[in-house]
Amino acid sequence: MKAVVWHGKHNVQVDRVPDPQILNPRDAIIRVTLSGICGSDLHLYNGIVPTMKEGDILGHEFMGVVVELGSGVTNFSKGDRVVVPFPISCGDCWYCKQGLWSLCDNSNPNSFMLEKLYGDTGAGIFGYSHLYGGYAGGQAEYVRVPYADVGLHKVPEELSDEQVLFLTDIFPTGYQAAENCSIRDGDTVAVWGCGPVGLLAMKSAQHLGATNVIGIDRFPERLEMAKRHCDAEVINYEEQDVAEVLHHMTGGRGPDACIDAVGTEAHGSGMEAAYDMVKQTLRLESDRPIALRQLIRACRKGGTVSIPGVYSGFVDKMPMGAVFAKGLTLRAGQTHVHRYLDPLLKLIAQGAIDTSFIITHRMALEEAPAGYRLFNEKKDGCIKIVLNPRLASGASA
Amino acid sequence: MELTEAVPRIGAGRKNRKVNVGHTERNASLMGGAALAITGIKALAGRRLLPGLAMMVAGGMFLYRGKTGYCGLYEAMGVDTSGPAPGGVLIETFVTINRTPQQVYEFWRNLENLPSFMRHLESVKVTGENTSLWKARGPAGVPVEWDAEMVADYPGQLILWHSIGEAALPNEGTVEFREAPGDRGTEVKVSIRYYPPGGAPGKAAAKLTHAVTGAQIEEDLKRLKQILETGETATAERTNNHERP
Ligand SMILES: NC(=O)c1ccc[n+]([C@@H]2O[C@H](COP(=O)([O-])OP(=O)(O)OC[C@H]3O[C@@H](n4cnc5c(N)ncnc54)[C@H](O)[C@@H]3O)[C@@H](O)[C@H]2O)c1
Ligand SMILES: [Zn+2]
Ligand SMILES: [Zn+2]
Repeated sequence: MKAVVWHGKHNVQVDRVPDPQILNPRDAIIRVTLSGICGSDLHLYNGIVPTMKEGDILGHEFMGVVVELGSGVTNFSKGDRVVVPFPISCGDCWYCKQGLWSLCDNSNPNSFMLEKLYGDTGAGIFGYSHLYGGYAGGQAEYVRVPYADVGLHKVPEELSDEQVLFLTDIFPTGYQAAENCSIRDGDTVAVWGCGPVGLLAMKSAQHLGATNVIGIDRFPERLEMAKRHCDAEVINYEEQDVAEVLHHMTGGRGPDACIDAVGTEAHGSGMEAAYDMVKQTLRLESDRPIALRQLIRACRKGGTVSIPGVYSGFVDKMPMGAVFAKGLTLRAGQTHVHRYLDPLLKLIAQGAIDTSFIITHRMALEEAPAGYRLFNEKKDGCIKIVLNPRLASGASA
Repeated sequence: MELTEAVPRIGAGRKNRKVNVGHTERNASLMGGAALAITGIKALAGRRLLPGLAMMVAGGMFLYRGKTGYCGLYEAMGVDTSGPAPGGVLIETFVTINRTPQQVYEFWRNLENLPSFMRHLESVKVTGENTSLWKARGPAGVPVEWDAEMVADYPGQLILWHSIGEAALPNEGTVEFREAPGDRGTEVKVSIRYYPPGGAPGKAAAKLTHAVTGAQIEEDLKRLKQILETGETATAERTNNHERP
C-alpha cells in the first residue's frame, strides 16, 4: 500500500510499504478514506518530538471503512464506516474506565520510555513516535486499529467524511480545552493560536456559554476565520501588545480563562523568542513556551489556563510565581477523544456545530510532502489539509 | 477467605543456600516466627486481612530463616550476623491490575501461564502437587532448566516458591496480591531472588541472569496486566512475520 513515511526532519515521502495485518483478536483493518495533517504532525516534521525513526508511518486523524476484523471484535462488521480516535485505548484499565482514555495503561508497548521521562506512561498514539508506542499511522491506504471494539465509532451515512473527520482529534481537543475552562455565564475566553485546534476551541467555548471569545494569532486568514466562523474578537500579536489589549477588553480584569492552542513551537520576536530558539536548538530547553508565559500573565486572578497545545519536555522561565500568586488552575493533556465521540457527533448531526469550515486544502495522499511544507510554512492560506487516498494526484481542490 | 494452610510449608533446602543468621538467633527466629505467623492468622480470622497477611509473611520469613539460616530482610538491610557474605540478587517489582486479587492469583497459580508473560521462560510444566519444571530461554537458544517447589500457597493472597535440587540458576520468589483501595484492582508485588552461579561467566545460566533484570520483570508484569485486563498483549508491529524480541 501507499503511506506517508517519515524520513527525517523536513523529509516525508510517500512510499510503498507492506499492508497491515490483524495481529491481535481485538484488531481491525481500516481502508482509509480521509486523513488530516495535524499541527501535532508538524512537531514530528520539525524534529521536535524525539524517538522518530526513518520508515515510521505518520497520521493520527483518519477515518474509513472496516475491511477486516479480529476474532474478538463482535460489535462491528466489514463495511462499517467509522472514525478512529487518535489515542489507542484498551477500554479495560482503570484509567479507561474513568474516562481518562488518553492515559490508558495498556496500549503503549514502549511505556518504559515515557515512564523514564515523565514517571508514568500515556496511551499509545497512531503515527506519533516511538515514545507513544511506535504504531503505524493513518496517512496511508490501510491502517491497523488495536482494541477496535472500543477504538472505532460508526458514523451515519448522511454525514460526509469532511463533516465527521475531525471527531478523531481536533474537535474533541478544542472541546476538551474549552470544557477544562469551567465556563460560566459572563466569561471571557482568550485563545492563543487560531489554527484548527484554536478555532474549534473557540467554537466550543461559544457553545459552552462563553460571553466573549478572543482569538490571538498573526496570520490574517486565520484571524479572519476566527472572526467569521467563531464569532471571536481578534488580536494580531505582531501588531498589538496582547497583554494590553486583553487588559482593555476585559475592564482590567484579564480573561477568565486562557487556552494555549499553540504549543511547543510558539513563534515570537525579540529577546525572549531568541532566547528560547537558541536553547531549543541546542536542546537545552525542549519547548518554547512563549505563548504559555503570556497566558499566565494575562489570565485573571483565580482563572484557568487550559493547555491543549503539546509540550514534550522542559520549559524555562515559567512564571510560577504568577501561577501561585493569582491562584490559577492549570489543566492540560492529550485529549480523551473516546468520551466525546457520542456527544460531539450529536452536535454535528443536529447542525449545532460544523467543523468542516477549517478545511482549506484537499489533496491526494501522494501530495503529502508538498502538503506538509505548505502547512508548516503557513503558505497559500493553509489552515487545514485533508488527504484522500483515492484522489488522483494533481486533482486537488 | 479460606486459608489452605496454617503455616507455610518449608521445602527441602538447597545445598548451597547462604547462611547469614547466627545459631542462637536461628532458634529465636523459629519461635518468634511461629508466634508471628499465628498472630497473623488470628488477625486474618478477625478480618483484618492486610495487617494479618503482612504479619504472616513476616512470620513465615522468620520461620524460613530459622530453618535455613537465611534471611532476605537481613540481606536487604545489609546485615550479616553469621559471617559469610550474603549472596543472591533480589528483584522487586510492583504493578496494579484492574482485576480482583482472586482473579490475578488464579492466573498466576496456573504456573503454565507464566511463559505467556515472562519473556525469559520457554515453558513451565507442572510435575507434581507442588513441583514444576521450568525451562528458560538461555543465550544462543541453549535452554536452562530447573525444578521448583511451591512452599506457600494462600489463594488470593500469596504464592512462594523456590528452586530445588541442582538448579542451574538457584532462585526463589514470592508474589503477593493485595486489594488496592477504592476499586483500583489488585496490587501485585513480585520478589525474585536468584543466585548467579559463581566463577563460570561462560555458563548459559550465568548469561541468563542478564536477561532477568528488574526492568525485564517489570515488562513481564505489564504483559500480565495486559493479558488480564485486555485479553491480549499490546504490539505496534505491522505484520506478524517478526521475531519475538
Ligand atoms: N492535546 C491534544 O490532544 C492535541 C491534539 C491536537 C493538537 N494538539 C496541539 O495543538 C496545537 C495546535 O494545533 P493546530 O493543528 O491548531 O496547529 P497550527 O500549527 O495550525 O496552529 C498553531 C497556531 O498558533 C499560532 N501561533 C504561533 N505562535 C504564537 C504565539 N506566540 N501567540 C499566538 N499564536 C501563535 C500559529 O500562527 C498558528 O496559527 C499544537 O501544539 C498541536 O500539537 C494537541
Ligand atoms: Zn492531532
Ligand atoms: Zn486502558
